[in-house]
Amino acid sequence: MAQSSAHSSSASDLSPWTALLLLAPLTAVMLLILIYPLGLTVWTSLYNGRFSFDAYVELASSTLFLRVLRNTFEIAIGGTLVSLLFGYPVALHLAAQPPRKRTAYLIMVMLPFWTSILVKSFALVAVFGNQGLINQFLGVVSGGTLNVPMMFNRVGVILGMINFLLPFMILSILGSLLALDRRLILAAETMGAGPLRIFWKITLPLSLPGVLAGVLINVTLSIGMYITPALLGGRQDMMVANLVDFYTRQTLDWTAASATAVALLILSGLLVALLGKVRGASGLAGAGA
Amino acid sequence: MTASSTPAMVELQGVAKRYGEVNALHRVDLSIAKGEFVTLLGPSGSGKTTLLNLIAGMITPSSGRIVIDGRDATTLPTNRRGLGMVFQNYALMPHMTVFENIAFPLEVRRLSKAEIKRKVGEALELIQLGHVANRKPRELSGGQQQRISLARCIVYNPALILMDEPLGALDKKLREQMQLEIKRLHAELGITMLYVTHDQDEALTMSDRIVLMNGGRIEQQGTPDTLYFRPETVFSAEFIGSSNLIPGTVEIGADGAYALNTALGRFAAPAPERAMKAGEPAVLLVRPENMALAATPTPAGVDGHIEDSILLGGVVRHFVRCADGSSLIIQELNQPGRPGAHRGEAVRAAWQPQHGRLLPPAPAG
Repeated sequence: MAQSSAHSSSASDLSPWTALLLLAPLTAVMLLILIYPLGLTVWTSLYNGRFSFDAYVELASSTLFLRVLRNTFEIAIGGTLVSLLFGYPVALHLAAQPPRKRTAYLIMVMLPFWTSILVKSFALVAVFGNQGLINQFLGVVSGGTLNVPMMFNRVGVILGMINFLLPFMILSILGSLLALDRRLILAAETMGAGPLRIFWKITLPLSLPGVLAGVLINVTLSIGMYITPALLGGRQDMMVANLVDFYTRQTLDWTAASATAVALLILSGLLVALLGKVRGASGLAGAGA
Repeated sequence: MTASSTPAMVELQGVAKRYGEVNALHRVDLSIAKGEFVTLLGPSGSGKTTLLNLIAGMITPSSGRIVIDGRDATTLPTNRRGLGMVFQNYALMPHMTVFENIAFPLEVRRLSKAEIKRKVGEALELIQLGHVANRKPRELSGGQQQRISLARCIVYNPALILMDEPLGALDKKLREQMQLEIKRLHAELGITMLYVTHDQDEALTMSDRIVLMNGGRIEQQGTPDTLYFRPETVFSAEFIGSSNLIPGTVEIGADGAYALNTALGRFAAPAPERAMKAGEPAVLLVRPENMALAATPTPAGVDGHIEDSILLGGVVRHFVRCADGSSLIIQELNQPGRPGAHRGEAVRAAWQPQHGRLLPPAPAG
């Protein structure tokens, strides 16, 4: 408190001109690489020789766009759920480790995080592809009759997606679990509660803020996913970002591309706001932990 | 100390706990009778919390046996020991209301909804907090939270309640109120209680029996009176109450009467409970309230001068510096018209020889 007030008082000591001058470089950079391109995109979507909303009207009635949009939500929500399903137990296990061991395990969790998404995608093909490790093994075991397609379809997209999303999910849940007072668990044990009841009644409700944060990050990250569906998905698994790419480079319809991009931005913005609201309401539950 | 006729609630047989090379607890034998209020008292690191956690089942002993209510519980998981525990930080579930918190152990025991409602209501009544049932713990004061945590314990009527410094986070006045409240609950419900504290006043106020711990061992155990008036070691004497300790060597007269030769003179003393040999080093203990400022020569006394006098309300405490540089504490009752003691004034600290107590010297280190 004292520190922040000291900061604000020293900030108010600056003359407005000095303050503006200090903010100028960042403002210039933001204008150049964020606001200008964004404005240009919005402009392009609205102005094609003349000013109109035609691109958006067309988008709303385009079967292709609506199907891609449904795909996008299916994949984003599905990927997030799978990531939650795998992430929660991992976070639970990490939280139970002594700090030194936890650090070692966390490095393993973070490793894919530090690897290029391209490299990861190709590595996944090497493992899950038709000629990949798993299918080769299945082929040997079954005498060449068994081959499970796991790449270039929905499974592939989800696999690639969770490989990217898991660290975000695990880290946000782990944060909540580590903040949980261990004495609550001990108290529940002395009262006779078994591990299952302790999990459902204490651990899970108190880790919900972390779960919601993880879900929020996962959904927003996956909704704009581009490389993973392009590399690991099939023709049916096009997501909105891929559609933008299609309009930009294949049909050269920049107006449609811009309108699609703006629609994606608005949709994910709404989703973030919605989830943020849910999180704010349930944040109360975890505040005491 | 425990009457052998009453069955034991807790029985520790040669229980020890080692962490690598460190002995947190040396072989301890301890028996707690049903309905007894026992306090584990000791400085931090004395092993009292280790002992409590062993009984709670949060750690397993390196050796020895733990029997709770006639059942071998040495390796029994915590949730099957049928205990209650009150923590210093209350350990109330922050996401549950007061009602839900107290209902939790009853839900574990699969009681019907109606019965849970009735029992939680009774427990809240007992601690006089019926009006906060629907609030969350963090909306309550520390004292209220600790009472809720007590109610959560007594609501399922465990045979044994463990308390780990439950009043440590409360201020002095509230602490004294809660001490009486816990004592009252103990008297009304007859539950066996094992209470851990480092506060000697708390131990003296509440306990049927105090188990004084030191360095992972039981130093001495007995009623508060026994520990106060008949300490067996210098550590016991110093930890409980304040004390004047005068080191010297034992002298035994022809009639078998004991005395101690010290740098301050020769003092007669009652025979110790465990016989000592002449010439053996020993320490004479005289409690400050057994000493008085005397004007005339007395059978036992030390000359010195007053270094400081402080008023503690009902009593006055004088710090007397003796000729050899050591210092004594004298505590007298405060009365109107009491002659003032002046700093630097030459005085004589006197006591009745029967109020002295010979103790073996404190072990080196």
